[in-house]
Amino acid sequence: MKRQTKLTAQEQEQLDARQQQAAAAAPREFASVEEMLRHDAQCTPVPPAIARRLEKSVRDLPPPPARAWWRRFFGS
Amino acid sequence: MSEPLAEREGPDAPQAGLAPSAFADLYTRHSRAIYYLCLRLLNDPGKAEDATHDVFLKAFCKQNQFRGESSWRTWLYRIAINHCRNLLAAWHERHMLSNADEALWENTAARTDSPLRVVEIRELGERIQQALAGLPGEYRLLLLLVADEELSYEQVGALTGQSADAVRGKLHRARKAFIVRFRQTE
Repeated sequence: MKRQTKLTAQEQEQLDARQQQAAAAAPREFASVEEMLRHDAQCTPVPPAIARRLEKSVRDLPPPPARAWWRRFFGS
Repeated sequence: MSEPLAEREGPDAPQAGLAPSAFADLYTRHSRAIYYLCLRLLNDPGKAEDATHDVFLKAFCKQNQFRGESSWRTWLYRIAINHCRNLLAAWHERHMLSNADEALWENTAARTDSPLRVVEIRELGERIQQALAGLPGEYRLLLLLVADEELSYEQVGALTGQSADAVRGKLHRARKAFIVRFRQTE
C-alpha cells in the first residue's frame, strides 16, 4: 500500500511536469498589444549583475563637497 | 550599502534625499520596468544592462532634485527615456520612417479586434522586439509606456510631451502598426 502511494506521488509529479510542458507549448492568446507587452515584461528577468554594479558604483561615488564657510555662516 | 540592492523590498513613498537602503527599495520596485523599457528601446541586452545601471546611478546622484511632483516611477522613466534617446542618437541607430511604410499600415486590413496568437511563447520576446523595431520611435515608446499599468494616460502624455487625448489618438495607430508588424514576424 505504501509502495503504491509512493508510485502515485511519482506519477503525480510526472503528470504535473507533462502538464507544465503542455502549457508552455500551448498557443497563447493576448487580447491586446498592451497585455502582450506586460506578459513579455513579466517574463523578462532583470540581470542580477545590474544590482551588484550599481551597489559598487554608489559605494565608489566621491563624497559630496563640503559647504563653503560663508554658506554655513549665513545658513544658506 | 550593506546588502545587494536586489534583495530588498519596500514601499514607494516619494521623498527627497533617500538613504541608500530606501534607494535600494526603489531599485527593487522599479528596476524591471526600467530594464524592460531600455531593452526594447535599445534592442540589445548588454546595452540595456548598462543603461539601467546608468539610469539608477543618475537617479541616486540627482535624487535631491526629485520634488515629488510626479511619482518615482515617472521620474525614473524620464531619466531612462532621455538616456536611451541620447544613446540612440549617438549610435545613429534611429530609423527614419518613410511615407511608404506609413501608407502600408494605413492600408493594411489589420484585424485589430482579434486576439494576438503566439504558438511558441519562448519566441515572444524576439517577435515583439522585431515588431517594435519596425515602428517609429514615438509609437514604440507610447506602446511600452501605456503597457505599464502604473502609468495613466496623463503621465504617459507628460513623459512624451503631449496631452492625454493626443496619447489616446496616437495609440490606436500605434497598436494597428504593431499588429501589422507582429503578424509579419510569423
